[in-house]
Amino acid sequence: MLVIQNLKVFHGPIEAVHGISFTVKEGSCVSLLGPNGAGKTSTISAITGVAKSTGSIKFADEDISVLPVETRIRKGIAVSPEGRRVFANLSVRENLRLGGAYNPNDIDSLIAEWFETFPILGERQHQLAGTLSGGEQQMLAIARALMSEPRILLLDEPSLGLAPKIVTQIFTMIEQLKEKRMTILLVEQNATLALRLSDHAYLLNNGHIVADGTAETLGSNDTLMAELTGLA
Amino acid sequence: MSLSRSQKRGLVGASLLAFVLIMVGTIATYFGSKYQLRIVYGSYVSLMVVLALQVFMGNARITNLSHSAFMGIGAYAAAICVTPIAMKKISLPNAPWGLNAFALDPVTSGIIAIVITAVIALLVGLFIVRLSGIGATIVSLAVLVIVHSLFLYRTDIFKGNQAFFGIPQVFTLTSAIIIAVIMVYIVRGFKESRWGIALRASADDEISAAAMGVNVHRLRLLAWVLSGVLLGVAGIAYSYYLGTISARPFYFNHVFLTLAMLILGGMRTVTGAVLGTFLISFGLEWVRWLETGPTVLGLKFPEVLGLSGVVLGSVIVLIMALRPGGIMGDREIEDFILKK
Amino acid sequence: MEFVAQQTMNALSFGAEYALLALGLAIVFSIMGLVNFAHGEIIAVGGYTMVAMAALSLNNPFIVIGAAILVASIGSVTLERVAFRPVRYADPTTGLLTAFGVSIVLQNLFLLLVSPRPIAVTSLYFLEWPISFAGLRISSLQLFETLTTIIVIVVMMLFLKKTVLGLAMRAAAMDFEMVRLTGIRANRVFAAAFLISGLLAGIACVFIMARRGSVDPHLGFDPVLMAFVACVVGGFGSLPGAVIGGFLLGAIEVTMLVLLPQSLGGMTDAFVFGSIALLLIWRPDGILTPPREKGDKQ
Repeated sequence: MLVIQNLKVFHGPIEAVHGISFTVKEGSCVSLLGPNGAGKTSTISAITGVAKSTGSIKFADEDISVLPVETRIRKGIAVSPEGRRVFANLSVRENLRLGGAYNPNDIDSLIAEWFETFPILGERQHQLAGTLSGGEQQMLAIARALMSEPRILLLDEPSLGLAPKIVTQIFTMIEQLKEKRMTILLVEQNATLALRLSDHAYLLNNGHIVADGTAETLGSNDTLMAELTGLA
Repeated sequence: MSLSRSQKRGLVGASLLAFVLIMVGTIATYFGSKYQLRIVYGSYVSLMVVLALQVFMGNARITNLSHSAFMGIGAYAAAICVTPIAMKKISLPNAPWGLNAFALDPVTSGIIAIVITAVIALLVGLFIVRLSGIGATIVSLAVLVIVHSLFLYRTDIFKGNQAFFGIPQVFTLTSAIIIAVIMVYIVRGFKESRWGIALRASADDEISAAAMGVNVHRLRLLAWVLSGVLLGVAGIAYSYYLGTISARPFYFNHVFLTLAMLILGGMRTVTGAVLGTFLISFGLEWVRWLETGPTVLGLKFPEVLGLSGVVLGSVIVLIMALRPGGIMGDREIEDFILKK
Repeated sequence: MEFVAQQTMNALSFGAEYALLALGLAIVFSIMGLVNFAHGEIIAVGGYTMVAMAALSLNNPFIVIGAAILVASIGSVTLERVAFRPVRYADPTTGLLTAFGVSIVLQNLFLLLVSPRPIAVTSLYFLEWPISFAGLRISSLQLFETLTTIIVIVVMMLFLKKTVLGLAMRAAAMDFEMVRLTGIRANRVFAAAFLISGLLAGIACVFIMARRGSVDPHLGFDPVLMAFVACVVGGFGSLPGAVIGGFLLGAIEVTMLVLLPQSLGGMTDAFVFGSIALLLIWRPDGILTPPREKGDKQ
């Protein structure tokens, strides 16, 4: 569904990603792994259109590399960005409404569904999003992304800064999404958890893809695992 | 005292600019008509203001909108001190505190004016330097309005919008050239000094700079007061040439005009300040000539009052949109002749 | 007692106008960090529209008012499209200077294309007549202005709370990029902000014209200055701050007018701004925001 070829991402004059290529098949979960500064978030930014890039980005066989941010999103891409970025001055419910802003379907029933799956969001629905805990904000960010009923979900570092128990909750949520055949591109520093979920993974380091494979091939490779956890 | 590489380049650059200023001034003095002389003098006074602006805005990266007010303070302070008693009794009959009962020589008056301007700059600066970028700009705007209202309404001291006349005209274009040249060295010197460098670094990242022990507020205050002093001098130069001043020139139009000059040339460099000032000073004169509906080669152009404003505003808008760094950007004049 | 009530009414109506003007500035600033100095010229555009209506012999007050508000709104949106789009994502100072430039260009265009002299606008005089009740003598205009401002504030609050576009605008004030990442078009949000700003300017214009009776190229200068100060007092960019700042400014002005002895009468401006300066020293980020130590967690 998502085909990236020779992607170079720029932050101003600096090239952060040096020509990577990978694919995300429909219905699959693909991970981008790697230590800090590897270029994972830059890649996500390039796909959404926030960061300048060269190379080919094809979504559902359509070249989106020249389209502006909002147009790409409307094609069915949703993102839960690094740092969650919930709208702190809006309530939980208002955040969700914005997520589904251009979704022609009934938003309210969608919101109600989410509140069933995640009662904590429902309890706090009128609370300002800025006052939620980290884990609750992450849940909100993902729920907000899903309000548009997207075709692909980009998840950037969902485990960042969260307590292990909460991280488990979040990853259970992601697993449920996978079961519903949602296409997911997951960026994570926590390689173990990510590999458990992924059908395929790519290891990034210093802006290059240094390895790729399925969870089995990567997981059993000790040197690779060391590199993944940044110890190399 | 050994100079760093950038300081040596700064010396070269300032000298180049000084050369340009002296050339232009000399040509005007010997070949210019009285009318042209006035215009050139005006542009040199503008240059003083723009240089003063550059020393603060270019290093602290904060937009200052109060500069015309400080120029006015310097102008009025000097004017009140230096005007002969006989004149003052006519123009300021109700002056309080015996202001119309004394007169000092131009040098003493100038010094007093500079001191007054510096003190006021210090007091205002103490508050402004604590504020963030746009906050400081906003307060500077308030300062401009307050000072202007004071000028307008204490007519017993300032005569408001009426002309305060009788100031002895002791300056000539030569005086202005000398002052402008000195200022170029001062402003360029500050830019390449450790204070200037530290200030620019902290402008980009205040918290990191403070963490490194840089006292950001004190540096800003230094630049602010220096700017104020230079503005005071510009005001003195203004008074001592024209012989008459009023409150009107020290308000928004002047703020905008001098800001445009700095922006056009490029606010990060002293060369930009000089370039922008001359471009707009002389360019504006040409546009004003067009405004009057002149006859050129037998063709009569229509009168277009307001054209100068449109041109000036458009210059600002276009520069901001297309080239916010101004014409010079980050380059100083010596970059053209010295290897990097 | 009547005196106090009288002055309170004065303060309310002054404050209402400043609040209206300040809201127009604040809504644009809160979303894109732009101090729109050209806001004053939008008011002037409304005034010149009224002149045009009179020239076309369209004296029906509804048409005159409607046209002024419509042209102000459209003019504001056009301004955004033409002049402010290139500096949309630039830093606040760039935007401020651009707005300054646009303001000067517009003022001189009025000078150039219409007339440097004030032109009379008489079609709104009917709005002003003295009312007396409960021992108070006020002008109907004051009443209209205060009521209109209250209605406008309520409508705006509803818009910002209930509509998706309103939510998007509030969110944009926090994190504009994220709003784009939910698929909401940046253009639409900006256009909406400027439309509302223009609408507010148009409404303010109606009251200003009814009071002044004439329009000239520099009409916009004083209102935008007061709007600016009101915003600063309330905390630049905050919408409730703009309203509070506006009413506070009205109160300060009336207080100064009342308190200052005759001899210092002309100094009202200086004292008003002086009070504002003192206020800023106490609360540099505006009344609603306690001073924040840099480096504090957001």
